Amino acid sequence: MGFLVLREKKNPSPISVPQTFVDFIGSNLDSNLAMAKERIPDWLNSSLWSTTPSVDGRLHRFSLSPTTTTTTAAAAVSEPIVQPTVPVSPPAAASRPQYTVTSQKYEFRDPIDKNSNNNSNDNDQNASPSGVSPDDISRQAQLLAELSKKVVNFRELRRIASQGIPDGAGIRSTVWKLLLGYLPPDRLQWSSELAKKRSEYKQFKEELLMNPTEITRKLEKSAVDDHSKSESSGLLSRSQVTHGEHPLSLGESSIWNQFFQDTEIIEQIDRDVKRTHPDMHFFSGDLPLAKSNQDALKDILIVFAKLNPGIRYVQGMNEILAPLFYVFRNDPDEEMAAAAEADSFFCFVELLSGFRDHFCKQLDNSTVGIRSTISRLSQFLKEHDEELWRHLEITTKVNPQFYAFRWITLLLTQEFNFADSLHIWDTLLSDPEGPLETLLRVCCAMLILVRRRLLAGDFTSNLKLLQNYPSSNISHLLYVANKLRSQASN
Amino acid sequence: MVLVLAIGDLHIPHRAPDLPPKFKSMLVPGKIQHIICTGNLCIKEVHDYFKTLCPDLHITRGEYDEDSHYPENKTLTIGQFKLGICHGHQVIPWGDLDSLAMVQRQLDVDILVTGHTHQFKAYKHEGGVVINPGSATGAFSSFTYDVNPSFVLMDIDGLRVVVYVYELIDGEVKVDKIDFKKTATASAH
Repeated sequence: MGFLVLREKKNPSPISVPQTFVDFIGSNLDSNLAMAKERIPDWLNSSLWSTTPSVDGRLHRFSLSPTTTTTTAAAAVSEPIVQPTVPVSPPAAASRPQYTVTSQKYEFRDPIDKNSNNNSNDNDQNASPSGVSPDDISRQAQLLAELSKKVVNFRELRRIASQGIPDGAGIRSTVWKLLLGYLPPDRLQWSSELAKKRSEYKQFKEELLMNPTEITRKLEKSAVDDHSKSESSGLLSRSQVTHGEHPLSLGESSIWNQFFQDTEIIEQIDRDVKRTHPDMHFFSGDLPLAKSNQDALKDILIVFAKLNPGIRYVQGMNEILAPLFYVFRNDPDEEMAAAAEADSFFCFVELLSGFRDHFCKQLDNSTVGIRSTISRLSQFLKEHDEELWRHLEITTKVNPQFYAFRWITLLLTQEFNFADSLHIWDTLLSDPEGPLETLLRVCCAMLILVRRRLLAGDFTSNLKLLQNYPSSNISHLLYVANKLRSQASN
Repeated sequence: MVLVLAIGDLHIPHRAPDLPPKFKSMLVPGKIQHIICTGNLCIKEVHDYFKTLCPDLHITRGEYDEDSHYPENKTLTIGQFKLGICHGHQVIPWGDLDSLAMVQRQLDVDILVTGHTHQFKAYKHEGGVVINPGSATGAFSSFTYDVNPSFVLMDIDGLRVVVYVYELIDGEVKVDKIDFKKTATASAH
């Protein structure tokens, strides 16, 4: 590939933005070839260009006003630029949609946070996938800057976070806590809020996780310890049972009865926790680390179930809790990581509050239940891609409940690998429209991205495809989802 | 928090047809971890019924038991406590606390559960504690016809035992409890 450079045009007029790759080549080819023949600039010989272009979905910035001259053009080398339409290509394709925003900045939805950048004029280099590119660092720096302000500006935070939160420096943990309303915007209040919440959780645990023997002992408070010392032999004195509490009590309000009823739920929680993410050492395996994490998950879910008798525990809640706990536990800050359990509990409650109704069986058919959400998704798809909708629901009769149920109730944690789902959650949590709306958009985008395969398939193959959604370029997916928002407003 | 049911002397079908319905409604599977039975069930059906309540069942032989393969004594360890079972018809004089204390020392247990007298008793001596759950059906005994149905449920928690006594008095279930703590030092022989 020739190194087509814009260097000749240091400050080109805006209209000269090539809309297609062909245009681009055409306009510059002659001049550049001529240039190349004359001499090869030193920078071209640098080792930077020996790395292969990345294939995991970096959007290369196309700068119109390059303050730096060197590398921008190289970006154009590997990436064809297509018109920003609703993308119809499958995710595996190498299309890199570019869209220009009315503002001077060029924003790319690239939550994999490698080469897109915001207001900096950094170069996008062909950094190796595992390295931290300058843009990554810049985003990290921006987030850190935002987080270290006295009062966090939520709009700003959401805006940066929605492009993806870098994996390092424990930023995600703090940002998620802010987005979920666990940490107040005022930085000074953080330590007092955290202390308060953590002690609250500790209290919950003590109250709710006690077994009835301990509870009765506490209720009595009488000193029975000296009993054995006072008489060496003789009939043991009998005493009245307090409040009619005995282990075989069948009374509704009996703590023993409640305890045995809760045992069922606790067993269910235990089973589900053991099955959470069996491929990850953090959650599963023989290590004591995994065991303690599982215990923490269990305790959180048990406390939640006891505090919410209306909804108790439903299978799937463990999957929603898992990413939260993982992120908080892996916070490099020791103190934060140690209190991950308490923090996860409150953030879990907050996150679930928007989706509670999906877990309530009685609400299944109501206007707020899961069925209604699924039909909203269906409607959404119909608005954006009627052909696909028609094919799916009417021609091949793929009832959205078959695939969307798991997508929606589990917030897409089961459809992608763990790292990808964390990125998706970055967007879900930070979008000002709210997680549910964003989730619907992302689900719709998922359908649209595989439309070609869906349109070609019948019931069986479509269902198979949707229930085992192919691993895809998350940045592309989220970009499409974002596009759906702006189109919906048209 | 281990729940242990101590029950015995039902004498079904000879002296009583069945457990009192109020007792039966309370004894549901899933709550109790162990059952200790002093003997005199007397038939296999009662054995099977207890098995449905809890799979971990320990029985000793009473003089009217139809299954002759139950042992005369049995010992088991639950948590920090050693428990011993013996029906009690072998210990003469019947129900004599000193003789029972001898059996307890012989078996080297903290809690000895015996029956035969059809009277609830919980007695403490240097060697440990003797518990007699009485007759669960209120069957008449060799001494008296006036027997209240009773059984015992022990809640073993660490070094502490809470003994819940369930008695059927005038058609009503009365529950009492007894607190008992094992001293950390070994019991004297």
